[in-house]
Parts: sequence; C-alpha cells; structure tokens
Amino acid sequence: MRLPERQVAVLHAASATEAEPIPAIADEAGLKEEAVTTAAFELAEAGLVEIQERTEEDVRLTDEGRDYLAGELPEVRFYRAAVHAGADESPAPMGQVIGAAGLEGPQVDIALSNFARKGYGKIESGNVAADPESDSDSDPEAAALEAIDAGESVADEAVLGHLERRGLVAREEHTIRSVTLTDDGVDALMEGVEATETADQLTPEMLTSGEWADVEFTEYNVEADAAETGAGKVHVLRQTSERVKDVLVGMGFQEMQGPHADADFWINDCLFMPQDHPARTHWDRFALDVDPVDELPEELVEAVENAHREGVGDDGDGYHSPWDEGFAREVALRGHTTSLSMRYLSGMAEALSDGDGQASESGSVEPPQRYFSVEKAYRNDTIDATHLLEFFQIEGWVMAENLSVRDLMGTFEEFYRQFGITDVQFKPHYNPYTEPSFELFGRHPETDELIEIGNSGLFREEVLRPLGVECDVMAWGLALERLAMLYTGADDIRDLHGTLADLEFLRNTEVIY
Amino acid sequence: MPVVDIDPDELRTLTGHDEKDDDAFKQDLFGLGLEFEGETEEGELQFEFAPDRLDRLSVEGVARSLRYQYGEDTGVYVPDTNDPDWTIQVDASVPNERPYVTGAVVRGIDLDEAALDSLIQLQEKLHATMGRQRAKGAIGIHDLVMLKGERIDERDLAGDTSDPTDDLTPVGGEDGAHRAGAPGGDEATDVGGPTITYRGVEPEEDTFVPLDADKAMTPADVLAEHPTGETYADIVSEYERYPAIYDELGLFSFPPVINGQRTELSTGSRNLFVEMTGTNQWTIDRMLAIICYALDARGGSIEEVDVVYEPEAPGERDSDHLIRPELDVRRKTVRHERIESTLGIDLEMEEVQELFARSGLGSSAKLGEETAYEVEIPPYRVDVLHPVDLVDDVGRAYGFDDLEPKYPVIGTIGGRHERSRLERATRTALVGLGFEDLLNFHLSSPAENYERMNVEEGSDVLGGEPAVNVTSSYSEDYTQLRTWALPSLMHVLENNTHRRYPQELSEVGFVANRDETVNTNVAEHRTVAGAIARTNATYEEIKGRLQALVSEFDVTLSTPATDHPSFIDGRVADVVIDGESVGVIGELHPEVLVARDLEVPVAAFEFRLDALAN
Repeated sequence: MRLPERQVAVLHAASATEAEPIPAIADEAGLKEEAVTTAAFELAEAGLVEIQERTEEDVRLTDEGRDYLAGELPEVRFYRAAVHAGADESPAPMGQVIGAAGLEGPQVDIALSNFARKGYGKIESGNVAADPESDSDSDPEAAALEAIDAGESVADEAVLGHLERRGLVAREEHTIRSVTLTDDGVDALMEGVEATETADQLTPEMLTSGEWADVEFTEYNVEADAAETGAGKVHVLRQTSERVKDVLVGMGFQEMQGPHADADFWINDCLFMPQDHPARTHWDRFALDVDPVDELPEELVEAVENAHREGVGDDGDGYHSPWDEGFAREVALRGHTTSLSMRYLSGMAEALSDGDGQASESGSVEPPQRYFSVEKAYRNDTIDATHLLEFFQIEGWVMAENLSVRDLMGTFEEFYRQFGITDVQFKPHYNPYTEPSFELFGRHPETDELIEIGNSGLFREEVLRPLGVECDVMAWGLALERLAMLYTGADDIRDLHGTLADLEFLRNTEVIY
Repeated sequence: MPVVDIDPDELRTLTGHDEKDDDAFKQDLFGLGLEFEGETEEGELQFEFAPDRLDRLSVEGVARSLRYQYGEDTGVYVPDTNDPDWTIQVDASVPNERPYVTGAVVRGIDLDEAALDSLIQLQEKLHATMGRQRAKGAIGIHDLVMLKGERIDERDLAGDTSDPTDDLTPVGGEDGAHRAGAPGGDEATDVGGPTITYRGVEPEEDTFVPLDADKAMTPADVLAEHPTGETYADIVSEYERYPAIYDELGLFSFPPVINGQRTELSTGSRNLFVEMTGTNQWTIDRMLAIICYALDARGGSIEEVDVVYEPEAPGERDSDHLIRPELDVRRKTVRHERIESTLGIDLEMEEVQELFARSGLGSSAKLGEETAYEVEIPPYRVDVLHPVDLVDDVGRAYGFDDLEPKYPVIGTIGGRHERSRLERATRTALVGLGFEDLLNFHLSSPAENYERMNVEEGSDVLGGEPAVNVTSSYSEDYTQLRTWALPSLMHVLENNTHRRYPQELSEVGFVANRDETVNTNVAEHRTVAGAIARTNATYEEIKGRLQALVSEFDVTLSTPATDHPSFIDGRVADVVIDGESVGVIGELHPEVLVARDLEVPVAAFEFRLDALAN
C-alpha cells in the first residue's frame, strides 16, 4: 500500500493496543501537530485508525491570581493586621486595620467581603472583630492558588468556583485526540506500507524528465495569507484625475495646458480682478523672485486695462482701483488654472504651452468650443489636514452663442452624475469674473450629505470682450482633491497629495475607475 | 467671505416681523445668499455671504433686503437730506498719499446699545472690505455735540467753489451728486457755518487723547505705543505728514488710525458727524452712502456737508467743492432679450419690472427697436458695474432654483493634448516595471533640493540649475520650485523607513528653474524619476529598469560615465537619449542616504520627459 509520507509516519507511530495522543505522535514522527491531526483524520477516513476525543480542563492563574500568590490574599492580610491590632480580643477601628494591612483602592472591598465570607471575623459600626479561632495560614483558596501554580489539580470544586468568580483563575476546556490502529491498520502495516514520493515544487527538470507523473505534490494551506506582492500602482490622485479626464473628453472637452508661473496679467487682470483685490495682496499671492515678463500682447493689455478703468459696454463701469501694467507683468505661481482659460479664450494659447510663455499673434476662437484642464494651482497658505499649498483644479468652459444659466446647470448636472453625485444645487454666488455665479452643492454618494462641489458661472463681458470673445462662455472649477477625498474617504489631504505621503496609504487605497 | 452678526430681535424690529422666529429668518436669509454660520456668545446669529452686497454688512441692510424679498418694499428708496450746515475744509497740508475726504451729519438718532453695536460692526466690516483694511477708506464717526466748529473766513472759499472738470466724477455722478457752489460761495454753502479741517500734521507736531488711552499722545506716539496705532501703523508710517482732522478746539482724529476720546460715540449720542478719508473719492463716498442708509433706517435724518478742497490741496480734487453724502440714483439700460437669453426662459415685461422692483430697483420700459428697461440703481449698490449684474438680480428674484436644467446641444470634439498622453504612457510603463507612482509637491526648499543631495545651486549637474524662489512664504519648507524630482523621492523614502521594503518609487512631474531666455523668466519642464530602495539595490538593477522603460519608446539610450555629487563615483552615468544628455542614473552616495536615516542602498535615475517624445 502506498500512502502519503506523513500518513505513513502516523501509522508507524500509532499503536493497536494503546491510544496514543497526537502530541506524542507528532513528537515521534517529527511532524507538526496540525499535520499529524490532518493525517490522522485522513487515515480514519480510510478506516486504518480510530480517533478518540476527550476534553480536558486547563486551569491557570490570572495576573491577579499570580500577584496574590507572590504576596497574600487581601482578606488574609486584613485578618493578620486585625489580629495584630488586637481585634481578636476587642474590636479595632476598621480604618486603622486597613492602613496597617497596607490595602488600597479596590483591594479594600475585596478584603472586606472575603473576610466576612470566610468567617475571619465581623465588621460592625466601623469596627473589626477578628475570630481568634480562624487559621489564616491554611486558607484553602491560598492553598489552591499554590497548587494550580505547581501544576497540581484542585479537587474542591467550591474553592475553584470562588477563585474563578474572583477572577484569580481562568478555566479553559480543550480537546485531546488520541489515535489507535484499527485491525485494517494493523493488516496494512503487516503487508507493508510505503510512502508516496512527494514534491514541494514543480521543477523544470520534473517537466522535462516526466518525473512529474510519479510524484504527489505536498498540499498547501491554500487559505492562508501570503506575503503581499509589492505592486506598482498609479497614484490615487492621478487615478482620480484620469477618471475626470475620461469623463470630460467623453463630453467633448479638449485639454488645455500652459505655464504654472505666469504673469499676473493672465492670472488675475484678464479675470477682471481689481489690482487691489484682497486676494492679490502681498501675502496671498505666490509671487516669484524673477523679473517681470518681457512681453505681453499689447492690444490685449490695453483692452484689459480699459475694462478695469472704464468697464465694458455703454453702461459699464470700471473699478475705482489703481491699475498698473507693471503689476500685470509680475510673475507669480497661478492661483487658479483659469489663467489657462484666459490664454485659450484669447486665441494665444498654442504658442504659450509648455512654459515657453512667448506671446504670439492673436488667433481667434470660434464657437462652439469646450475646453478643460486638470492641473495644479497654488495657494500661499499653511499646510494642514484640509489645505495644501498646491492642489489640482478641475477647470472647464463651454463657449457658444446664447448660453443660458439652464445650459450651465444641465452641463454640470451631467458632469457630476458621472461621479454618482446627484441632486446638484446651484446657490447664487459672487465672483468678480462671472455673473451670474453659482456655488455648486451635491449629495455625497455614500453619506448623502450636501457638500460643496464647485464654483461656476457665465464669464462677464468685462472678461470676454477684451479677449475678443463676442459670444457666451460658461465655466466652472473644482478641486480634484475634494473629489478624491469623496472617493477614498481620506480625511487628511496630505495623504492624498504630496511629499508627506504615507506609502502604506497609497499602497492600500482602492483603485478608482 | 464677510460675516455679519445679527441680533434676531433687531431684525424682527427692523423688518416689522415680530412673529418670525430665528429659524424662519435663517431660511429667508439663505435665499438671499447669507449662510448661517453659528451664534456669537451674545446670542447673535452669524451669517456668511459673498463680498458683493456690502450694504448687507449690518442688520439694517439685511432687514432692508428682507423687506424687498417679502415684497413689503419695492423699487428704489433714497433718504431725504437736509441742506448743509457744516463744512469740511481740505487743507493743502493733507498728505499726498491720502488726499480725499467725505462726510455727513446725522441728527436725531436714538442710539441704543444694539444700534451702537450695529454701527460699530458696519464700520469695521466696511473697513475690512471696501476700505481694504482702512488703506483705501477709513471711517470716523463722532458725537457732533463734542465738536466745536470754527467759523470759516469767507474769503477762504471765495473763487474756488467751481468744478469745471467732471471727467473724474464717479459713476452716476450727475447733477446734484456733485453740486458746484455758485461763485462767491454764498448760495449753496452756508459760508460761515461750522467747519472742521482735514490737514496734515508732523508726526510730533500736536497731541490729542486717543480712544482707549489715558493721556495725550502725538500721532507718532500713537503709532509706537497704542495697540490700535501699532495695527495700522503700516498705512501711514511712510508718510511725511500724518492725516489729521481739527475742529476749533484742535486735533480730534488721526485717520485712518484712531479717533480722539473727546468725540467718542455713546448711547447718549443724538447727533453724529461721519467723516471718511481715503485714497479714492468714489470709494469713500460709496462707503458713506452705505452708512447713511443704515443710520436712516435707525431714524436719523441725514444732513449734507460741504466738502471744500483748497486750491493747493493734493490729489485730483483741488479747488473742488462737493456736497456730500452723494445719494444719487444711477441708471443702466438692460435689454429684455439679454434677460431672457441669460436665464433661458421667456418673460413678460410686467414680470421683469416686478422682479426689478422686488430687487429694490426701479425700472421704466423703453420701447424701441428692441425692448429694454432703464433701471434705477440705489447708491448703496456698489456691486453693480454692468447691466449683467441687474440680470443677475432678476434671476435671483425669479429664483434660479426654479429654472429647469437642460443639456446644451453643442457638438465639439474632445481630446487630450500630446504631453498629457505622453505622461500617461510613461506612467503606465513605470507602473508596469513595478514602480509606485508618486505625486509630490512642486514647492521645496534649498535644504531639500540642493544641500541634502550634496548639490550646489548653480553647478552644472542635473538638479543644480538655479531655482525660482517664492518671495514671501509662510513656511521655510516650501520656498522654491524644485529643479528636479529625485529629492522628492528621497524625501518620501525618508518619511517611510517604517514601511515595507522594497520601496520602488517613480514620478513623472513638474520641475522649473530660472531662465532669462523665457518670457516668464521661469523654464518649466516635466521630468521622469525612478528610485529603488532595497537591500540589493544596484546600478545594474536600476539600469535594467531604465532600459526597459526607454525601450517602450522609439529612442536610443546610452549611459556614458559621469560625475554627480549625489551619487557614488564610478557608479553614475549620464542618461543620453538620441544623442542628447537628458539626465543622470546611478547609486546614491552613502552620505545622502545616511543624512536621511536610510538603512538600505538606493539606485535611481532622472531624465527629461520630452526626450521620450519623437
């Protein structure tokens, strides 16, 4: 008879006359207990052995029980202190005895209740009377603790019960299995049992030699966790960005690109942001220590300055704020990617891409158009769990004749629907560069909370006319991190973006699709 | 965004809606765009709103808006004004940097605690917004009883009360806004009426007792010692002379810093003198209009003030004679078609006029080739620059919520630009090679970008390019744009020494350096960086990855030996793609590793993304 190696070992180690416990067999066969148990059940299935089971109780000391073993039970200490204080003759004040016994905190209650239970004495009106007949040296519970510690069994179930209730011992049951050879098992051994050849791994040699046909492969624990493979993975925020780009391309949007460090002209002046707007002050701008831009498109600068000073149209007013071309030429990190929209709307985007910043001749952009970008913008601030100095802005705009607020609502509802965000609400808002303007709110796909999901509006004529745009343009913006936080449930933005990342977070985040 | 604190009892009184509870107001105000933020310790409700409707910076303005919303007020309201008694004379000594002043007198007001609080709040909020932290416009409100007007000499006014040029008249500055006094100054002005003077003083020239002080101080003392003085010192510290306002008794206000104690407002004040100084006449006149509307709502009667600029006064108003406050209604024409196309709905003319009226605007239809409306805009509406702002008012009054969204039927072709696609392809290839894609900050510091990499700024190695710095940064960790990405990967390795190894990281990202040949003086590039940190990270292994990456693109790679201070000598090479040196590859120098507490070797490469494009 041919049997797997470990079954053979178990057969050899088992006896027909005596039930052999599994640990003993494991010892003899040089196998793990789990392996022996598995093999024994396989042999039992084949009728070659029988398995007997019995349960055994394991009693062990708890930490508290071990503490009292080293010292004394609190009630014993209390009794001895009471006797010492003469309470075996006349009652002594309880407080004094407690102090003398050195009992503190919960031990006081433990001592008092067990003192009374064991008949060491009585406590009345705050005085302790000790029973002179009691023998604290032969406290049965103390003796039982010592016995358990020595590995002996405690026969007195009542004592054991008390100790268990006091939390001084823990009792656990476990199953002991023993194996006995059956007659068939004995016969098999008599006839001779050989081990099947087993292999741990399939090797190239086995495949070429044909040896694979004669071997049995050792079984794996196929349920166990394996050491995890370190996998390459696209950054979670990039995945979110890819998803957004997919949606927007699908909706007919073309992607924009352009300089991160740009003239304030493109970042703010074109957006009809007055030069003394609080967002353009020293501390809020991300000004850079380079010289102002060499070139700006002259005609456009004149048109933008005029819009700031005089307004646009017969009934338009300008700002009563200073306007200085020098400031417009200063270079800063863009505070929003709307600078890209300005460049594209002006028709001067193509030559300006990839950071070379050269102004080219004005092209013209004819409606209809849809453009987007998912690019970084910068904010001069301090870093915390919800703010970074750098974030990705989703920026998009649609150019067409006669766009209405209803078109804007329809477009953005559709966009957010792609991300499971429904019930989009449009709260009237104010931006210097759009009118009407709306803050966008929507329902979180999981928590159902109403959350802010973007800012939108129709560009003002003061923005569009200087750029040479005669039709309507609606636009919106949203932080990509905000969308990503909704998706990943991340509550610290620093995990989602940047050099402070925790690799474990990045490795364990679900993919976004 | 501005926050306004509103006492709900005040709101009940001012709107005449005693029956409304706080929640009802919260809901009504949300409709106006004022979002409930919380309560103050005194139980006032706080609302946040966008900074366009600055007339809503106090409970009086909010109540007015609500009454329009409820339909209880309609159309334009302008308070009546009485003829001037007081004069503000603008002296030639006024600092050039702050030439303008305006003012009004308000009589018969009952300033209880709540009204006084509200006035102070409005003043502070206007300072913070239109006033640009008092730099552009600052408000002083005085108890008129405490002012003693010097009788002005008639000949000071003679001959300079005309206003020949009207070019710089603020928006809507039509007749009456800017009334010129008759020559001789004896008709429109009460010559001989009480006068205060706006002038300049030397920093140590004079003294007064400022608010919250117990002694007389010079303006210079105020800037140096007084807490409010310290806060606003920056505005005037460079001035040669400081702005000052005098009455017959002497100096009583040091705008824009602090008023004197003598004229301090109290709940007993019945008659007020409001003055504002600033760098722009229009701005302070508009701030004044908002204050006057609030005081009118409190039952005060507005009295005009003559503002007389002396011939030698600085700024563009010299010799001007203005009657203030300017509470003129402006007019703009709005086309009916524009309203319909912006809202995307058809409207009847009566409906539109009704919506204007409910927005606190007046309108009269202009029937011509094209239906339009002449819309009257009250002087507190500082936000209206263009007819589109009035279209927005119509939309809000109609209820944007009631508009049905529709998807515009516009055909356009979508697509990504080439670099975007190249970045994606490169990232995909790197991830396929087992790298974890990172997305690091573009902002870094000299310590990270250069020093900890053993690279000197300006040296001729990858990463050594001179950096572009942020001029005023909040954190010393983020003061410049990184010139290369490898330091960012090293930083991530440093932060994650407690995480599982191997750590194989890559990034396709942005770097920049100073470059005067570029229009912005900033050259921007995309870079490809990869690093492997493991017990057996070697040059050979990272080179294998680089080869595998580059072989996915139609380019040829070679790696001639080079020197680079971040890497071990003899184990570093130039990355040469199609004959051009575009990067570096090697084993990181132990010094660089130890400085970051790394206990495993690191091999890495970095090169320019555009080298992979063809």
